[in-house]
Amino acid sequence: MIVWFVLVLGCIIGVVLPRIGLLAFYRTWRATRERELVEDALKYLLNREYQGRHATPESLSGALALPRARSMRLIEKMEAQGLLETRGAELHLTPEGERWALHVVRAHRLWERYLADEARMPLARVHDEAQRREHTLTAAQLDELEAAMGYPRRDPHGDPIPNREGSLSDVAGTPLTAWPLDTPGRIVHLEDEPAIAYEQILAVGLRLGQMVRVLERTPERLVLSDGEHEYRLAPAVAVNVTLAPLTEEEAARNHTIPLSDVPLHQTAEIVALDDALQGFTRRRLLDLGLTPGAVVYPELQNMFADPRAYRVRGTLIALRRDQADRIWVRPHRSN
Amino acid sequence: MATPEDVLARAEALRNSLPSGFRDEVVQSLYAEAERIARRAVKTAADRKYDLDQRIDRLVTAPVSGLLIMLLLLTVVIWTTVSGANVFSEMLATVLFGFGDWARALFVSWGVPWWITGFIWDGVYLCLAWVVSVMFPPMAIFFPAFTLLEDLGYLPRVAFNLDWLFRKAGAHGKQSLTMMMGFGCNAAGVVATRVIDSPREQLIAILTNNFVPCNGRFPTLIMLATIFVAAGFSGVTASFIAAGAVVGVVLIGVAFTFFMSWLLSRTVLRGEASAFTLELPPYRRPNVLRILYTSLIDRTIFVLWRAMLTAAPAGAVIWLLANIPFGNTSLAIAIAGWLDGFGRIFGLDGVILLAYIIAIPANEIVVPTMMMMYTGASMMVEGPGSSEAIRALLVEQHGWSLLTAVNLMLFSLLHNPCGTTILTIYKETRSYKWAAMSVMITLGTAFLVTFITASLARLISHLI
Repeated sequence: MIVWFVLVLGCIIGVVLPRIGLLAFYRTWRATRERELVEDALKYLLNREYQGRHATPESLSGALALPRARSMRLIEKMEAQGLLETRGAELHLTPEGERWALHVVRAHRLWERYLADEARMPLARVHDEAQRREHTLTAAQLDELEAAMGYPRRDPHGDPIPNREGSLSDVAGTPLTAWPLDTPGRIVHLEDEPAIAYEQILAVGLRLGQMVRVLERTPERLVLSDGEHEYRLAPAVAVNVTLAPLTEEEAARNHTIPLSDVPLHQTAEIVALDDALQGFTRRRLLDLGLTPGAVVYPELQNMFADPRAYRVRGTLIALRRDQADRIWVRPHRSN
Repeated sequence: MATPEDVLARAEALRNSLPSGFRDEVVQSLYAEAERIARRAVKTAADRKYDLDQRIDRLVTAPVSGLLIMLLLLTVVIWTTVSGANVFSEMLATVLFGFGDWARALFVSWGVPWWITGFIWDGVYLCLAWVVSVMFPPMAIFFPAFTLLEDLGYLPRVAFNLDWLFRKAGAHGKQSLTMMMGFGCNAAGVVATRVIDSPREQLIAILTNNFVPCNGRFPTLIMLATIFVAAGFSGVTASFIAAGAVVGVVLIGVAFTFFMSWLLSRTVLRGEASAFTLELPPYRRPNVLRILYTSLIDRTIFVLWRAMLTAAPAGAVIWLLANIPFGNTSLAIAIAGWLDGFGRIFGLDGVILLAYIIAIPANEIVVPTMMMMYTGASMMVEGPGSSEAIRALLVEQHGWSLLTAVNLMLFSLLHNPCGTTILTIYKETRSYKWAAMSVMITLGTAFLVTFITASLARLISHLI
């Protein structure tokens, strides 16, 4: 009898206890969920404003996949908090709302940078993970993350990362669909939404920083080449790829091959580390002496040809294929 | 006079005007300067040693010869350790236990109360002596042998050969080295993960190291394989079956290492920093003094000291549990009785569970603690002398079956790291979270696997 009494009492205490009880957990969870919703809404509105279009309650409930009534409540609440104002059917961010929205965008892009560079997560998964993590850090923690990564300016898709004050530089470039034929250009931005188009771009093998030219353009398809491979894209997908003209240094980078393609026992000279190689991996490779201008010599390979060991500056360093793929070299004519 | 704030603000403004590749340029200029100095100061002659190195490299990384050399060296190291340690261990035990008996007799002759004598000499000292005599010899042989291979420059080639396996599991090739070190001692294996310079892969190696059975667990595995698994066979067949069972258990552990590495790298650890590089240093003439120093002082004594720190209190607890009366038995037997029902679910029993709980400091004392409870002794004992007698004691008096033996082998392989290793994981990661995680992962796996085998065994016996 007394055991049951204690058990029931224990359960009740466990539920209602402030801060560590189940009820308190549920409340915190609800509040977090609510804040995440507000932040997602702010991000959506900011995005619409950059596109020069205005959001409506309908488009908001569509973007957040919320029932109509629920999104109306959300809008009322955000209006009361002074984050947005309605003008007719249009929703506009207040300066306060814009400041917060920029914070979320900054968090999202810094996380993407971190996940892609430091955690080497595949690019196709980076966006979703950042979507989850963007709500977790305070502004001060974001500053720390930014400093730890060496103040990156763009996310892995080429979008600018807002700085602490919230200013945002724009990406200058031309969509692939409007790029002149047969002119070399560098990919400066890959739009990551919608995800289907982005996955297609990644699937054909295009990546940020790659140098390409347009060989052929018809209403059905675009054919690109980076001098080695040909890439085919539907125009609806190609519009999500932005190009910019080459700088002089980049033009010199042409006619290089990945280190992984250099045959065993043939020397080559490093021209550049790929832009897609950032953060921890890049620092490590540079520290080991794989700097532009260094001479490398593939000396050994494992029984599956991955990893291979390269002699560089007198030491033997093993690299996996996925890393050697990102190091651009010019092979020497003969040994 | 500029204030610190001014300087920071100026730095902030200047930073934005830097080109994006300025870090590359910094490193490049450092290397250019180093090259300039080296060119002036260093003369290179035609290098014979370089050719030899290359020839060895080709031999040890070639598909067939590379694999053969690796297996051969590993077998030699483990065989030397196991056979050499036995002799050494017995000598050490004779000395240490002899001293304990002498000291106890001295206490008795002084008229010290039995519970003080018992607590100190049958509890704390006995446990310390046990841990030292079982743990020290294998480590004193294994670590120098391993360090010799390390000093020669051979070990990075093993990592190079095996990297393809580890890459598929999301881990680093050097994890093969920390796993081999784990055969010597998991705590040393955890310390050895420092060679993995990528944070995520290092954490994977730390959290999965315990799936490699260490020196402390091998005797248990060998005993169970000999007495139970190979019981129905005789002579040479029996030793092959026993050896096969131990190798099988080790392979299961390796399989779990890969599976868990794969799982961790895709779940909890996916956000940790990661990069792969592996330096293959030139081969060197081994330096015997350095080998002895690093293997004996840095590794053996270091691990042994930590083990002793955790063994002393465990010895006290074990003695207390065996000597505090409870009803008409001891507290230990009573607790084992309460745990019995829970243990049966996993094909084990209460004594085994209690032994694993109180012998957490070191796997070496699990069997003596179990034997203490099974024989009803008041301190840790080795149990009956012959394997027939042990078999009789466990099967006839305590209801063991083949399932109990197999599940105990599996539990011994997969259960939580010993106290020393947990402490080392905490010291290496500086985080309670990872230390707790290492316990939960292994203990969860151990209970899950033994539950499955026990259920299967029950199902089969039910059907038949």
